[in-house]
Amino acid sequence: MVISDPVYFIALPLLTAFLLPLFGKIYKPLIGIIPGLVFAFIAYISFDLYLNLVPGKPIVIQLAGWAPPWGINLVFSEFSGFVVTLITFLAFLVWVYSYNFKKVGFDNSKKYFTLLMLLVAGSIGVVLTGDIFNMFVFLEITAISSYGLTAFYKGRDSAEAAFKFLLIGSLSSTFILLAILLLYKQVGTLNMAEIAVKAQSIDPKMKSIIAILFMIGLGIEAEMFPMNGWVPDAYSQAPGPVAASFAGMLAKSGIYALVRVFYTVLEVDGIFDLLLIMGILTIIFAEFSAMRQTRLRRMLAYSSIGQMGLIMVAFSFNTKAGIFAGLFLMFNHAIIKSLLFLASGFLTYSTKQKKIRDLDGFGKIMPFTSLMFGLGAFAIVGLPPFSGFWGKLNMLVATADSNLYFVIALILLVAVVEVVYYFKVIGRLYFRQQHKEVEVHKPTWNAIAAMSVLAIVIIGVGIYPDLITDYLTKATNELFDKASYIHNVLPNLSLN
Amino acid sequence: MKKVIIIGFLGVIAYYLLSAFASVPFGADLIKGVKDFYLDKSPNDLKVANVVTSIVVNFRGFDTLGEVTVLFLASTALGSILYRRRSHDSGLNPQRTAPEASALVQTGAKVIFPFTIMLGAYIFIHGHLTPGGGFQGGAIIATGFLLMLVSYRKFFIEHNALTWIEAIAGSTFVILGLLGLVYANNHNFLENFLPAGKLNDLLSGGIIGIIYVAVGFKVGAEITGILDTLLTVKETGLDPEEN
Repeated sequence: MVISDPVYFIALPLLTAFLLPLFGKIYKPLIGIIPGLVFAFIAYISFDLYLNLVPGKPIVIQLAGWAPPWGINLVFSEFSGFVVTLITFLAFLVWVYSYNFKKVGFDNSKKYFTLLMLLVAGSIGVVLTGDIFNMFVFLEITAISSYGLTAFYKGRDSAEAAFKFLLIGSLSSTFILLAILLLYKQVGTLNMAEIAVKAQSIDPKMKSIIAILFMIGLGIEAEMFPMNGWVPDAYSQAPGPVAASFAGMLAKSGIYALVRVFYTVLEVDGIFDLLLIMGILTIIFAEFSAMRQTRLRRMLAYSSIGQMGLIMVAFSFNTKAGIFAGLFLMFNHAIIKSLLFLASGFLTYSTKQKKIRDLDGFGKIMPFTSLMFGLGAFAIVGLPPFSGFWGKLNMLVATADSNLYFVIALILLVAVVEVVYYFKVIGRLYFRQQHKEVEVHKPTWNAIAAMSVLAIVIIGVGIYPDLITDYLTKATNELFDKASYIHNVLPNLSLN
Repeated sequence: MKKVIIIGFLGVIAYYLLSAFASVPFGADLIKGVKDFYLDKSPNDLKVANVVTSIVVNFRGFDTLGEVTVLFLASTALGSILYRRRSHDSGLNPQRTAPEASALVQTGAKVIFPFTIMLGAYIFIHGHLTPGGGFQGGAIIATGFLLMLVSYRKFFIEHNALTWIEAIAGSTFVILGLLGLVYANNHNFLENFLPAGKLNDLLSGGIIGIIYVAVGFKVGAEITGILDTLLTVKETGLDPEEN
């Protein structure tokens, strides 16, 4: 059926982004309304496609009428479909939260919606594409729209954050491009399935150089230590909904690309050990930095890096249990971190420095936002009955399966560290007296709606995890079964 | 000490990159890959004389849509970073930092300008026949505007017109792609649904030529917009919330 073609996920946001300035000339409020309609539509078709997906039969779409490997193809499988559905769902919620951007004026909101639209299109493109160079193009789109969104507030700090992000991001693109160049020289094709077959004959030394270039390039997007210097600045300078989309879309597409390249495209000895080490370093660095932060947004940003490190560790086990835990953590991180960033947008609205100690007693004056923040904090730390608990539990089980006992110790230690810094904030919100008068910004009804939906999902999955475990299991099987991915994209080609 | 460690790391990276690229023989023929298929299909099936264009616009047209978007993003994001007071917003005339060019340069620029535009248009209209295409033609057109911008302090670009050109050209690309979903044989995005015509005719290659003309307009408008943003005096628009 034409209407449910996955190409709409990319074509419609691009078309809207190009036309948005014209809509603004016709009738000004259209620049907020049209993106919402588009996000609602792509969220609807992605749910529709994903729920009706036949197991083991991903939707493979060819573009421009050429079958892979000659043309570019899109693969909507159990894994990519899961991530795309998550992204479109979050995109719609971010729009609900922010569509009423009255204060910033017409020109700024036009820019905001154009860049947000393209960030969504780019993240979806990275996830759906079955072509390695096409993935690079979409990574560029995500990266450049993120630079623009980081610099949304026109000030010295945001400009610095955006510039830092731009420098590191350009480095990332360069490394990915070099890796693709070397890979193309070795195999003569850019289709990921065909590379997966032909990569077996590449010289091992060359293969590890390519793998490391990919690891550095994609690691920057996935917030891997030590290439994540951009994260705290970008997350803390960008507006709240933008930080939520970075956590839910930018980081998710980065980790997806990393996982897809190392599980499906390139099989390299020892790459998962490297990923494990990098993941552990990322966790240690991030969690201990988070504890020392005095500003709320920076603390959340470091915590986000820590979560991404945990996801990397989960995927580095190269077992089904590990992938399952990684996917669960990805889901949790996207949903819970978005809630935390959305709530923090209102909590820090009235304070200039956005310091944690300015939040004393906010539980009384902003009851709803504080409650949402508290809920998010409980969930991300891993307390039952929230969805975060199941993610961490699965992670511990997967780690035990792989006999990595020191990693179990690390995860438990990190959980304690997380409790320390999140509860420090909750303590100030609820158990301190308000020490100075502040102007209160009550959340608007649309922000309340967006945060409530996220909170309901967190509690719903927490109480009844079977809501998503089925889908996660299917996604795990799809990612683990490289041969069937290749067979579905290129029916005439098989491994060996 | 820090610097020594950094240089050490850079040395390691440089060594491995060098050894990787040294193993790629310069100018040697690629191993058998997808290229033979492209060389065969471009003139025979697509009726496009310029194989590079058929790869850029058709086989890998989706990438090109992405690249056009990257350029669009660059101009949008640059506009948001380099804040500038527009003449029709505040009533103040925008200022250019460069001094007025000499009469020689001004006269020369005026003479060359129309020909530059014509050359650019020629290159993107013939993108499917001769070397070059939308990106090159668009860049040449933008060069023409750059020449005028540096020669005349009073030469201003109408941003409304740029917005319209960008929007219409960009959406032409996507809409032609979407029409492929409905009218083309395989119902694919960006698939050709117009008659392919005869090789080497101006009207050949179906949608490929049309898309490249749209790309030419879009690239020209965007680079011109970027140059204008960079050359005109900026206001430091500090956010009232900060500081």
